[in-house]
This record gives sequence, C-alpha cells and structure tokens, in this order.
Amino acid sequence: MAEVKVKLQPPDADPVEIENRIIELCHQFPHGITDQVIQNEMPHIEAQQRAVAINRLLSMGQLDLLRSNTGLLYRIKDSQNAGPVSFFLSKMKGSDNQEKLVYQIIEDAGNKGIWSRDIRYKSNLPLTEINKILKNLESKKLIKAVKSVAASKKKVYMLYNLQPDRSVTGGAWYSDQDFESEFVEVLNQQCFKFLQTKAETARESKQNPMIQRNSSFASSHEVWKYICELGISKVELSMEDIETILNTLIYDGKVEMTIIAAKEGTVGSVDGHMKLYRAVNPIIPPTGLVRTPCGLCPVFDDCHEGGEISPSNCIYMTEWLEF
Amino acid sequence: MTQAEIKLCSLLLQEHFGEIVEKIGVHLIRTGSQPLRVIAHDTRTSPDQVKKALCVLIQHNLVTYQVHKRGTVEYEAQCSRLLRMLRYPRYIYTAKTLYSDTGELLVEELLLNGKMTMSALVKRVADRLTETMEDGKTMDYAEVSSTFVRLADTHFVQRCPLVSPTENSEPGPPQPAPTLVINENDMYLVPKLSLIGKGKRRRSSEDDATGEPKAKRLKHSTDNKEPIPDDGIYWQANLDRFHQHFRDQAIVSAVANRMDQTSSEIVRTMLRMSEITTPSGAPFTQPLSSNEIFRSLPTGYNISKQVLDQYLTLLADDPLEFVGKSGDSGGGMYVINLHKVLGSLATATLESVVQERFGSRCARIFRLVLQKKHLEQKQVEDFAMIPAKEAKDMLYKMLSENFILLQEIPKTPDHAPSRTFYLYTVNILSAARMLLHRCYKQIETLKRNVNKLDASEIQVDETIFLLESYIESNTKRQ
Repeated sequence: MAEVKVKLQPPDADPVEIENRIIELCHQFPHGITDQVIQNEMPHIEAQQRAVAINRLLSMGQLDLLRSNTGLLYRIKDSQNAGPVSFFLSKMKGSDNQEKLVYQIIEDAGNKGIWSRDIRYKSNLPLTEINKILKNLESKKLIKAVKSVAASKKKVYMLYNLQPDRSVTGGAWYSDQDFESEFVEVLNQQCFKFLQTKAETARESKQNPMIQRNSSFASSHEVWKYICELGISKVELSMEDIETILNTLIYDGKVEMTIIAAKEGTVGSVDGHMKLYRAVNPIIPPTGLVRTPCGLCPVFDDCHEGGEISPSNCIYMTEWLEF
Repeated sequence: MTQAEIKLCSLLLQEHFGEIVEKIGVHLIRTGSQPLRVIAHDTRTSPDQVKKALCVLIQHNLVTYQVHKRGTVEYEAQCSRLLRMLRYPRYIYTAKTLYSDTGELLVEELLLNGKMTMSALVKRVADRLTETMEDGKTMDYAEVSSTFVRLADTHFVQRCPLVSPTENSEPGPPQPAPTLVINENDMYLVPKLSLIGKGKRRRSSEDDATGEPKAKRLKHSTDNKEPIPDDGIYWQANLDRFHQHFRDQAIVSAVANRMDQTSSEIVRTMLRMSEITTPSGAPFTQPLSSNEIFRSLPTGYNISKQVLDQYLTLLADDPLEFVGKSGDSGGGMYVINLHKVLGSLATATLESVVQERFGSRCARIFRLVLQKKHLEQKQVEDFAMIPAKEAKDMLYKMLSENFILLQEIPKTPDHAPSRTFYLYTVNILSAARMLLHRCYKQIETLKRNVNKLDASEIQVDETIFLLESYIESNTKRQ
C-alpha cells in the first residue's frame, strides 16, 4: 500500500479569510502589529501564506509598513487617507515605485514642505530622475511648489491640498512673499493711538494715582479686540500677531509692558499670566547734541580747522545761522 | 586728554585769560607735571611771565603744585577743571534760580575771581547791586552776607585749603612751597564777621554827591585803614555740589516726563532731604522713611498720607526703577537709585541721538538690540518688523558709526565665516565715551563760529554733563 501523504488543510486557509483576520487584528491594535502577533494569532498558517496575504494588503493600500526597533510593523491605514490613496494608487498603477517613494517623502514633510535636495537625500535617487518625477507629479496635480519667504529662490514641495505653514509663507505679514510694511505701520499707529487715548482718559479722571495707573493699562486681549473691530485687516489676526506689533511699539519707546498673574480662565490670560501695555512719554526731550548742525553732519569726522571742511566755512552752520 | 579736548581748553583759556596764559596752560596739559624752569624753557617765555601766568592759573584752581622729594616743585594742569569753565553760565544761572540776584552775583564774582575772602566778596557784590538799584537806594551788607551764609550752609561755596598752622613753627629750612590742608568740618564754617555797611555807588566824579550822607563817607575812609577781619580765609565755588544739583534736576524732570507733576515733587523732596547726607558718587541715597517725606513735603501740596504712600508704591514699582524700597520701618523706607538713574538717562541720550541722526526705524532697531542684548541679523528683522533689506542697511550704518558692535561666535576652530554666528550688541559705556568725544569736538566748532551760539553751547553742555556723570559713576563702580 502506497503511503498517501495527506496534508491537513487547516480550516481557514482561505487567503481572503487570512487577510480579514489580519485587518481585524490591525484594528484591534491601531498602533501597529508585528509579524510575531499575527503568528501568535494564527499559528497554523504557514509563513509563506502570511507573507502573501500581507503583500496583497499592502499593495491594496490597506496596510502601512513601518519599521521599528524590534522589526517590521503593520498598521492599518487611516480611513481618511484610504480614499485619495486608493485613487492615487489607481492612477499610479502605471508609474514606477520611484514616484511612489517621492510622493511618500513629500507627504511625510507635512505642511512645512520639503526641498528638492532633501528629497534626493532621502530617496537616494539621481537629480535628473527627481526632477522628472516632480514634474510628473505636479502635472498630475498631486503636489505643488511653494516659494519660501526665507530664501526667495528656494522652492519647497508639499501635497496639493495642504495649507503651507506660517514659517514658509511668513504668516499674516507677508502677502505673496512681500513684507507688508504699510500694513504693519498702520497697525502700529492704530494700536498706539488706542493706548494713548486710554492713558489720556485715565489721566483726566483725576482719581487717586493707583486707579489712574491701573486704568491706563490695556491687556493684549483688549487691543486685539479693538483691532478686530476696526476691521482694517483683511487677514484674520491672532493675539500673538497683535503682541508682535505691540512689541515693536515697545522698541519704539512709546509703550511699556508689565506682566501680571491672572486667574486661569479670565479673558485673555495665557498660562496664568496676562500682558498689559501702557503708553508712556520719553524721559528726556531730544538731547542738546543734536539740536545743532554738527550733531547731524555727515562729514563731522573730517572737519577740522584749516582743512577743506572746517568750522569756519561750514555751509550747514551758515544756513542755520541765517535763521 | 584727547585732541578735541586740548583744542577746546586752548580756546577757553584764550577767551578768558589771553595768549600767554593759554600758551602755558596748553603746554602743561600736553606734557603733564613740570617744574618752573622747564616750562619757561620749553615755551620760550621769560620766567617772570611764566610765574605770572601760573599765579593766574593757580588762583582759579586750574593748576596745582606738588613738592617732590628732591625739593623741586612741579606744576600740573587740571584738565577736567579747565573744561568746567564751559559751564560757568549754568552755575550762575542755578544760583540765580535758588537765591535770586544776590546769589547770582555772589557766585559770578567767585567764579571769575577764583578765590576771595568773604568780606571782599560781600563788599563787591553789594556795590554791584547798588548800581543796578534805583537812585537813593543802597544794598545792605547784611543782606548779602546772609545770602552768602545760606550758600555756605547748602555747600555751594566752600573754604579753600589753608596753609597748615604747624608749618611755620617747624625747625629747619622753610619749604619751597606750602602744603595746604583743610579740615572737613571747617569747610563750610562761615567766620563770625560783623560786616556793617552799605553798597557804594560808583560815581563818575570824586566830589561829594548830594545823596551821600557825610557820616557814611567817614566810616568808609576808616574802613580802609582797618585790617580785614577774615584775612587768610578764602572761599571758592564748590563745583561738585552744583553738579549734584544738576543731576537732581535731571532726575526730577525725567520723573515728571514719565509720570506726573506730583510724583516729581515727591522725588524732588526726597533729593532735597538727602542733599547733604549723601556723598557724591554714592549708588543710593540714604533711606528715607515715608513719614519723614510726608513731613518735608512743600506746604503747597495737600495730599494725604495714604495718597503719598500710593505714589511711593507706584514709583517703586515702575519699570524705570528710579526709586527702590529698602525696608518697611517707619511706613516704608525708600531710596533713590542714583546709578540706575544715570544709566537710564545716558541710554535715553544715546537713543535720542540715534533717532535724530538716522531716523525712527533705526532707533527701533537700536532699542531692540539694547533690550535683548545680543541678536542675530534674522532675529532683528523679525522682532522689529522691518523688511530684511532695510534692516540690513540700517544695521550697517549704525555699525559704521560705532553705535552697534558685532560679536563673533565661531562654531568651528577655524572661524570660517559660513559657520560663525554674528551677533549685534550695544555697549553703552563705550558708546557714551564716543559720544562725549563728539560733544567736545562739537563745542569747539561752535566756539569758533563765535558769539551767536552761546545758547547752543549750553544745550550741548547738557548732554556732556549727563554722559560724563554716567561714565564717572561707572568707573567708580569698577
């Protein structure tokens, strides 16, 4: 009698069944599962079948392959991304893996974008290939190039539908890479006027000095509300933006700031303290040195008696004396 | 002494004393301490003339002498004292504001004559005042002397050092030059003189005028024969005290500008109370209790004790840090932070110069770097909200004029420029010195343009005063 080797077919050797079980496992552990976990769960499945199932899931885009210290991790792909990615994958079916790699690198860069040289380092692809791929992706409207405000020649790439981060565009003060000086100036003056009128009304009220001083202060939140209500800005301004404007006023010497401890929850408090601003006067009038022509003279260092430029034939002086 | 200062001194000496004194004075400034013969030889003037010039200079406290071990006497010029001659009009004006015309004339005479005895001074001032009064009225000596006593009490005038009384009794050869000593306690002691008399009007004719009573003329003739009772006690103007007064004025006006009138009055009261008790150059005034301040407030100000306390608290909490609280006894002990005040005033002067010369945007960058101490180029642009190109331009302009300094911090030992941090920073002391030098040069220029510019000289002198006090307070601290 011939020995018939019968291979026991395990009950759920069906590839689809395996895949579903793996997906269920992934849902159970959203942070990712290792190969070991799958093996424990389905000990009767051979390694080869496991590998086939996982490969199929990967190519279908339902699983993410990650590397960790311990080995490889499989993670269920986010349901949000599942849509466009499958759409993408359907588009990319014809393109090579290089493009997929580049796309993934750009996606990982998030909304800060990534420079072409950095893409080259990460993917180890030659420059010509990179450029071709980038052009391809751009024409398919999957990525876009955004000019960085820091270095105007540099272009960073990011996914098409993402908003570029503030550090790239410069935030509210830049519109199309141009620093909006007049906008900043206008805001500067408006804030100062607001603080000045507040200080004036406080002074007029002639109450005891403590109250006078406290009422001349305005918190950054108040100034922010005032500016928003004025409506001079087309862009939405946050409280931090207003604080940078108020800081420039401090550097102009027109405003002083104090920080007080405020209860959490009072309007405008950040981490338990509030910033208060107050308009102030300079402590000395323009100094004597600059009230004479010599103080503002551009050739002061060359001027000496007997030279070509000398005090006795100084034209600025004669003009000034004619007053 | 810088070149600019030497030129300025020579102009001043020439203006006040003439060519010969100027020659000798400048020579002494340039070469330092020298004996008489060497001076005569180097300046090619006769020893007689040198002696006379030195007399003039010593009389005005511009030159001092020292006896050396070998028996030679060397003369040294006091450069800083020379430069004070610029400030004479301001001293005289201060005396006028405090003690009216009498005080003004007293200080003026004292400054112009260097040293004088009290009786001679009083007499001369009374004469001058009488001339300006209406016909028939004369100025009484007593009034003038009482003003003089007040000046001495508030330390605006002080006694000159005297010949030490023990010297003459020592055995041995007499010293080539006397050493002068003065006891601290006696410096402001007014001798008990009974100066009786009235100012005399200077008449064009020697004849007996109708207005003059005969008895007075007799008295006057006898006066000439009597020896002057306070012979040997000479008085000079105490310039340090005037400087203290200017500094107080600057503090009070700074407080008035930043806060309100009442706060500045409180600070003025505090300064007045510590006028005599605080040595010059001290970093803080003596602590004053709030009760004392309340008692010493001028009578016009009817503010209650509570309001005063509130003002004092506000002053102590102000970011300017002019007033500090040093304790809680007596209702709160308060001091005035003198060094801090001078620093703030010097900084404000620097900022004002930058603003006027380069524009308000440059001033913004300057204040920014001052506050943050060290900044990179990029950070300057971000904080000041000024476009990159303009910011760079302004920083380089200020750098070329030495208001801002560049600090290099290398990342690698080979200091490669691409791997080095370049930080902008401001050093107030060196900027103040640079500006002071400019001021001196400027005054020299103004002086050469003669006469019409006295007012502007005084304005520049204000800046000089602030910067010099700040630099002095800083060097003393070190």
